[in-house]
Amino acid sequence: MSFEEEVDEIEANTLLGGAPFFSRPGGKIFIIWLVFTVIGVLIGFYAPHHLLPVMQSPEGGDVWATIVFFTVLAAPVAALVYAIAFYSLFAWRHRSEDPDVPPPDAEPQRGNGPVTVVWLAVSTVLVVVLLFWGIAVWSAQQVSHPNALQVNVTGQQWLWTYSYPGTGVETRTLDLPVNRPVQFNVTSVDVTHGFWPAVLGVQVDANPDVVTVIRTTPNKLGKFIVQCSQLCGLYHAFMNNTGDVVTSQQFDTWLQSNGATPTAAATAAGTSSSGSTTAMGK
Amino acid sequence: MTTAVAPPLLEDTQLGPKAGGFYRYQNIWTGLGFGIFLGFVAWLVSHATVQGSNWGTDMVVTCTMVAWVVGFNIGMGTFNAPIHWILGHDQTHEDELYAAGVGQGSSRYLKFCTDHKVVGTQYLVLVMVLFGVGGTLAMMIRTQLITPHSSFLDPQTYNAIVTIHGMVMIIATIIMVSGPFANFIMPIMIGAKDMAFPRLNAMSFWVVVSAVPCLLATFFLGGVNAGWTTYAPLSVQAPAAMDAFAMTIITFVVSVTVAGVNTIVTVVTMRAKGMTMGRLPIFTWGTVVGGALGLYAMPAFLAVMTMMITDRATGTSFFVPEVGGSQWLYENIFWIMGHPEVYVILLPPVAAVLEIASTFARKPVFGYKVAIAGFVAIAALSIMVWAHHMFTTGWAPNLAAPFMLTTELISIPTGIIFLCTIGTLWKGSIWTRLPMWFVYLFVWNFIIGGVTGIYLSDVPADQFFHGDMFVTAHFHYTLLGGAMIGATAAVCYWFPKVSGRMLNERVGKVAFWMIAIGIQVTYFGQFWEGFQGMARRIAYYNPHYETANQMSTAGAYLLMAGWLVFLYMMINGWRHGKIAPANPWHAKTLEWKVPTPVPLENFLVDPVVTSDPYTYGEGVPDGQEVPESAPAPEPELVPAGSAPGDQIDAGGAS
Amino acid sequence: MSFTETDHGSEGHGAHGHGAAVPGAENPGGEHETAFKRDQKERLMLWLLIGGDGLFLVLELFTWFYLRALNTSGLWNGAKCSKANPCTDGLGNPINGPIQKADPKHAIIIAACTVIAAGFVWIAESAARRDAGKRAVSTAAGVGFLFLLVALGWQIYQFQVLPFTTIDGAYASTYEFFMGSTLAHLILLGFIMLGLWIRASKGRYAGATWYRVRLIRFFAVWIAVSTVILVAVGALFY
Repeated sequence: MSFEEEVDEIEANTLLGGAPFFSRPGGKIFIIWLVFTVIGVLIGFYAPHHLLPVMQSPEGGDVWATIVFFTVLAAPVAALVYAIAFYSLFAWRHRSEDPDVPPPDAEPQRGNGPVTVVWLAVSTVLVVVLLFWGIAVWSAQQVSHPNALQVNVTGQQWLWTYSYPGTGVETRTLDLPVNRPVQFNVTSVDVTHGFWPAVLGVQVDANPDVVTVIRTTPNKLGKFIVQCSQLCGLYHAFMNNTGDVVTSQQFDTWLQSNGATPTAAATAAGTSSSGSTTAMGK
Repeated sequence: MTTAVAPPLLEDTQLGPKAGGFYRYQNIWTGLGFGIFLGFVAWLVSHATVQGSNWGTDMVVTCTMVAWVVGFNIGMGTFNAPIHWILGHDQTHEDELYAAGVGQGSSRYLKFCTDHKVVGTQYLVLVMVLFGVGGTLAMMIRTQLITPHSSFLDPQTYNAIVTIHGMVMIIATIIMVSGPFANFIMPIMIGAKDMAFPRLNAMSFWVVVSAVPCLLATFFLGGVNAGWTTYAPLSVQAPAAMDAFAMTIITFVVSVTVAGVNTIVTVVTMRAKGMTMGRLPIFTWGTVVGGALGLYAMPAFLAVMTMMITDRATGTSFFVPEVGGSQWLYENIFWIMGHPEVYVILLPPVAAVLEIASTFARKPVFGYKVAIAGFVAIAALSIMVWAHHMFTTGWAPNLAAPFMLTTELISIPTGIIFLCTIGTLWKGSIWTRLPMWFVYLFVWNFIIGGVTGIYLSDVPADQFFHGDMFVTAHFHYTLLGGAMIGATAAVCYWFPKVSGRMLNERVGKVAFWMIAIGIQVTYFGQFWEGFQGMARRIAYYNPHYETANQMSTAGAYLLMAGWLVFLYMMINGWRHGKIAPANPWHAKTLEWKVPTPVPLENFLVDPVVTSDPYTYGEGVPDGQEVPESAPAPEPELVPAGSAPGDQIDAGGAS
Repeated sequence: MSFTETDHGSEGHGAHGHGAAVPGAENPGGEHETAFKRDQKERLMLWLLIGGDGLFLVLELFTWFYLRALNTSGLWNGAKCSKANPCTDGLGNPINGPIQKADPKHAIIIAACTVIAAGFVWIAESAARRDAGKRAVSTAAGVGFLFLLVALGWQIYQFQVLPFTTIDGAYASTYEFFMGSTLAHLILLGFIMLGLWIRASKGRYAGATWYRVRLIRFFAVWIAVSTVILVAVGALFY
């Protein structure tokens, strides 16, 4: 083999060689990468619709958006790794008569500075984007509404008790008025529980002797389930109950049917003009 | 120069009738006997003295377990050398040869044996036993979850099984690579004749053996119903099984600490001449960084479990708020241990994967130094991320953003690992032997585990996913799909050196596909459950999640069947496999340059190291070779007549 | 700790675990393990273990200051409890006022004895280094061991004279945890110093093997330092 032929062969085998782009390894990997990326992005957009429950609060919507956004960001990276791995398995696989004989050594390549730098830079940028997304969404959720409906949540083995301060109502089901900010003041009387109304997109542990606070604003009518997300003993699996997001009028009626005076119920439900509630918790 | 005469093999040394002293009479049976005896005595004594007082049962269980662990190790011979040292009757050279297994045939595998290859093999068997136990428990969990309200297990048993499945698997995965391969292979890789501290090495194995019965005893002491994280205050109120559980961990901490120290000291001080830190095989780096991280994590585990025992057995108030403690103290210290521990599990298999990828792509490791920097960066970052397990506990909401930052930063060095793996595969001559298939499976699974991890690192999304089956599926993808598949690749890769026989790769391929498909089906089922919002660790669930659970269970059965085929392949290979050549993979690291079976001190002639072991395709002779015969003895570096003390002054000024 | 090596015949031949060369014979593998190499190994091991123990100490201090800052239910030391508004101890009995502070006298005696014991190990080391004879080394080691026994005994005695028990809130719990941790460390050091004494009186640490004593000194000094830290925190931050 002459020197020129060798050069040609080396060129043909490199990314920037003379052959048409899509017949070179780099081109083929690019196609596989593109296909995988598109699949990943499609999964990111469509899978949540089929898998996630219907979210009933903006925080739940944030969960949804985060899943889609992160999947779309991660898809190209994962697709690149998969593309190269698959391509190497099918194109560079060595087939020989005797499986005990190793293939000839490949061209040594101990590293590639530019590739490493680009890889690091891209992953750093992605991390920064993730972080900004996370902090922006998280801080938006931290806004506390002075007029929020207060609900005191108490966990015990193995049930939840909800009380609505100012009304004297204490129930085992969680009814909430729609489009009204609500603040859960969560605590426990025995061990650690996890207060998890999944479709409201919020979760916090119920710790004994401490009140933890989460806030949300239910924005969609309908029933949901509250579960305990922290293993809490024998009947942990049964520590769940239903909740319901209802209109203000329904909520008012529901409070009264559970023993609240009409005034207190109207105040709590926000259907009265005064609208002030008793702040509880810290 | 005199002609080299082959020295007699050390293992053929004829020992005197008294060599070994007490070691002659000690084996696993005396260990069991003495452990049970001492445990029984402690039970009798403590029962007579403290039973009936406050927390009496907890004290009795704690005393019994401590006595069992100490007794077992006395019976095994763990304490022989320290006692000899204290009394000033040092063990003789013959004693040490006896302890290394000279002249005992295969019975040395059931004894306190200081030969690192024996310890490695013992670890391999122990790991397989533990995976068998943990896998059986996993099958029971999945069987329970076939239908929403199954009566297969009662809730108490279910909770106990969930807990012990977790802990058995944590113990097994921590030792699955750093036990067998960091002991058997790593010293040969760096050209050492043994680990730095052979007796500590044997001790680390027998101590972890003595921890296993404590863990299994929990089933007979009421069961630990608090999950493997054993969050207080539930665990403080748990049955007496919790004391045995905490004792298991304290014992295990001793083992991991000793093993981690031993690994680090071996690599730092025992390398062959010419084996600089920059020429170490990448696997060695993984074990060192993993060992160092273990050394960081284990004190926290010790602290938290000691406080757990005192809370339970003496009524202190560390973790119970009603009496002045804080459950967040528990959660903080636990996760200060808990997250680094994940990387203690992960780093050695990842390093093994890079090693194997290099061998079967016939290429040097891509970005050797970058990969090492990645390991170190992962280790450094992993000690700063613990509170991401506590995003939803209500502890310090203001710290959510910093911990989100550190957690997401860790994906940069993890990405480096992927870059190095696919860079090694890039344009390689891919030799698809069995270990290589598992390397590809590792890449496939670990990407999924990594990508699902970023949802969990994000606080708003974690508020949905925390405590949900999504988390379960995520960490099984990383720890089973990533770490354990990497360890499986390592088993397939080093099996010929460990056992001296080849595996039947046709059977292995069947196992591979069953495992590969089983993992995807099982954990995609669990991702599905998680998206739908099914909580973890529940024995009964809403019928809404039934299809996803049945999918997961079907996958789990396939996965278990795959592991059984794999186990059959290993046992069959060990007994009837084709005799392996010394270097079946034509690899360049030193462990393949010594004969199989490996002689007692590994190297009959000292290895010569002139480059790193990744000289594939560079057209130069291997830089890591064992010469045919010994070179002429070099002159002593230290002038004759100077006392060793002077050497230390000269070299040990630090 | 390190009991993994033998001391005799270590000059230039050292035991390589098992396949050791007997003094005077050629090592079959050709590798000599010099005294320097062995010391290097054991020093590294010791520093790593001390590092791990240091982390344990840090976590103990973290526990102390965390629980002190939280003061859950006023139960750090009961300073906020009163007859009118009692707190409840671990057995449900009322706590009507502050838990009495542990007398720092005992803790200071223990710390002082530990420091003196470590000092005598240091004296033993320098005696061995000067090759002052086995009598000098073993005397220093023996006196140091006796001081350690005093510390150990006093630590056990302190458990008897505490004005509180483990159930009296977080201050009492953490204080006793410090004591228990000190006790465990002193027992470990006690075994090692007993060995040092016995071996020194057999003349094992003359001249060339002085560096073996240095290892023990490192550990003894570390135990002394950590004991002093625990005692200081326990006495100053009630």
